[in-house]
Amino acid sequence: MDRELIVAICDLTCRYADAPRDALREVSLEVNAGEFHAVLGPNGSGKTTLVRAALGLLRPTGGRAEILGRAASEWSRRDLARVVGVVPQREDNLFPQRVRETVLLGRYPHLSLFGSVRETDRAAVERALVACDVRDLSDRWLWTLSGGEYQRVRLARALAQEPRLLVLDEPTTSLDLRHEMELFELVRELVDARRLGALMITHHVNLAARFADQVLILADGRAAARGAPAEALTRDTVERVFSWPVAIKPFDGRPQMIPLRQRKDAP
Amino acid sequence: MKYVALLSVALATVAAGLLLGPASVPAGEFLRSPIVWQLRLPRVVLAYLVGGALGVAGVGLQALVRNPLADPFLLGLSGGAGLGAVVAIALHLPGPWALPLAAFAGAVGAMVLVYRLGLIGGTGGAGGELDPRILLLGGVAVGAFAAAITTALVSLAEATELRNAFLWLWGGFSAASWTTVLVMLVYAPLPLAVIAAAARPLDLLALGEEPAQYLGADVRRLKQLVYLAASLLTAAAVAISGVIGFVGLIVPHVCRLVWGRLHRTLIPTSFLTGGILLAAADTLARTAVAPRELPVGIVTALIGVPLFAFLLRRWTVS
Amino acid sequence: MRRWAHRTHLAGFLACIAAACGTGNRALPSGGITVTDDAGRAVTLARPARRIVSLLPSFTELLFAMGAGDRLVGRTAWCDYPPAALAVPNVGDGMPPNIEAVAARRPDLVVLYRSAQNAPAASQLERLDIHVVVLDLNQLTDLGRVARILGRLTGRERSADSLGQAMDSVASQPPAPSTYSLAFIVWDNPPIVIGAGSYLDRLAALAGARNVFHDIGSPSAQVSIETIAARDPDFVAVLSDSATQPSFAARPEWRVVRAVRRGHFLLLPGQLFGRPSPRVAQAIRELRNRLNGEGGAP
Repeated sequence: MDRELIVAICDLTCRYADAPRDALREVSLEVNAGEFHAVLGPNGSGKTTLVRAALGLLRPTGGRAEILGRAASEWSRRDLARVVGVVPQREDNLFPQRVRETVLLGRYPHLSLFGSVRETDRAAVERALVACDVRDLSDRWLWTLSGGEYQRVRLARALAQEPRLLVLDEPTTSLDLRHEMELFELVRELVDARRLGALMITHHVNLAARFADQVLILADGRAAARGAPAEALTRDTVERVFSWPVAIKPFDGRPQMIPLRQRKDAP
Repeated sequence: MKYVALLSVALATVAAGLLLGPASVPAGEFLRSPIVWQLRLPRVVLAYLVGGALGVAGVGLQALVRNPLADPFLLGLSGGAGLGAVVAIALHLPGPWALPLAAFAGAVGAMVLVYRLGLIGGTGGAGGELDPRILLLGGVAVGAFAAAITTALVSLAEATELRNAFLWLWGGFSAASWTTVLVMLVYAPLPLAVIAAAARPLDLLALGEEPAQYLGADVRRLKQLVYLAASLLTAAAVAISGVIGFVGLIVPHVCRLVWGRLHRTLIPTSFLTGGILLAAADTLARTAVAPRELPVGIVTALIGVPLFAFLLRRWTVS
Repeated sequence: MRRWAHRTHLAGFLACIAAACGTGNRALPSGGITVTDDAGRAVTLARPARRIVSLLPSFTELLFAMGAGDRLVGRTAWCDYPPAALAVPNVGDGMPPNIEAVAARRPDLVVLYRSAQNAPAASQLERLDIHVVVLDLNQLTDLGRVARILGRLTGRERSADSLGQAMDSVASQPPAPSTYSLAFIVWDNPPIVIGAGSYLDRLAALAGARNVFHDIGSPSAQVSIETIAARDPDFVAVLSDSATQPSFAARPEWRVVRAVRRGHFLLLPGQLFGRPSPRVAQAIRELRNRLNGEGGAP
């Protein structure tokens, strides 16, 4: 398999206006086609900032971020949206809408200015609905869905963009075990079957370790560790980054983290 | 099918506006009557165009500030227009077009001011980004400020004529003529086209600015273009016919209920529906209490407020 | 909008102190003078007013006409007739009255036009122990009554009575046979016209012109240009001190009205026509002359 570089981030540094310190400092990351990357880190460690800067919403103060060999800031939003599909952490539902309409929004970067929805667009929507197992929900109103269904619909919308890269920002927050597992399995399957790149921000250390090919652990805007889960998720790193004692045990060839009870388990 | 119904209602409204009026026009003279050609027809057409423009401005604006309760006149334009009108009267600016032109200048002045207030970060020009919340707050503030200056002028100038400027501001199509229609026909298509072209990105904007960008919308430019286009439409409307409330607020809601929330249908249907509402309201204003006439803004409020209350209930109940 | 046309040209301050108009015929030494004003209030003065503030141009004119002009110590900015009125201190536009400016003139009587807007002013002035008389002056028929009330309060009954009689006889004249029709247009956008419940409507009738909006009961009303065109008046009358046609005359939509198209405007100076005044007979004469002079062939 030849390696196809989709995202190349090198020494990326970002600072928000009027902020006392960098939100992101000299972080590097490379995502290839067919790779599932997880970004871990406590709240405020710069995970979402990384995504914003990588996708050109934030101008870096140092380093560079490239998508398919072109600086992120040089992409038009429309062109970039044909290459990268994002499931943002939060979005509004100002007006009631149905599942199929929502997924169709993913086709917008492919439509011309006044152009109407063509057969190819409908087919892409259909494929995305099927891939995310939400086709049966097509005519449901968005607000009638469960949390898991809703996230799968939003993933379908990103897929309808027919991207090379999927970016998911904490997609499983507030999902129960089944829906959480289903979502991770779905992303893994898409990465393997379609050779998409995937970049997922998550708080779920163990699921990241089970599903991701590479993890990047951020702390205070810096990369605390980066590499295959077995290399990056050492006890030392995890304890330092999350400020909590843990044990790391292997399971199925991947490291799994067990948080310790500080008052009882601690040595 | 629904489109056919909408177009039929639109035609029927225009026809009713032509046929009905305080003056009786004999059927035989109908096609030659100056009352029909010089008064009713330009008035119906103008009311339709202004209603349509307000409907579209309302759709654009509600999407822009991502608040379904936004009305085009929230952005300080009516205050600016009122100030312009009062200044024109106070300075005795000559000519039949002085009043609308001054009102337009006032509205555009308010628009520029609110725009500058709403522009966050960077030094304007390329760097800045419009913040819709600041835009709303700035609009209310600029409107109130302009209204305060207007009131001060009216009470200091001791000219009772100025009071009549307020009457004019309440809205009406008395000044309709083919010239006004022509002005609107030349002026309105550009801002209308700008909003129509923004239909798809406006759909995305409903999700939030960041999600919209990830789906391919150039949000910074989108907000600027839509704000300017909606304001220019509103400024023209207020200059031509004063402040006519509720059209820009209600019409987008009605259309969303009937046609869904996608702007590709919402924009044209809002134009047609806004035109129907205002043309019908104006016909009512002319005929309901003939020989007297009601300010059309009062009629739109009388129709609009109950309708709006009904819609609100339906929304909150479901 | 009611009373609009008048209020715009009325509204004045009228302070009047009754000079020692000693000849106060029935001014009983003990009881003083008592009148009931148009707000139904009893106004009692110990003696004829000597320092009067008039808050309406019509009151000012009436007071001068009955020879009590020298008792005025305050007037509104609008009180511009007779010329001697201009020498009386101006207390503002009177809409609403500036209480402090009025009180500073130390009046013993304030003559106030009856309106909802003026009601608070009346009670405020009374709290300052200033006598206030509140009067209606909207119609031709009001002139005689108001003249007599003011005459009593100033102790000028004799001249006020003869003034009142003159006013009443004008008011009770049968209307002249109307040769022409007209519409009074007080504002063009939206068009506001004068209806039956007004001074001008009656004035026109006495001058031999029929107000085409006589069927509208209120003093003024908003109408559409179409209605004006359909009523097709011979003349369009406009209160204006200028000699040139109003600017709406040039607008295309107005040119559907025949009188506008033909330039049949009656430009009536506000000082004489804009308010009920003791010069009503002169106003009628002048309107009649204008109708006949300009109306060669309407």
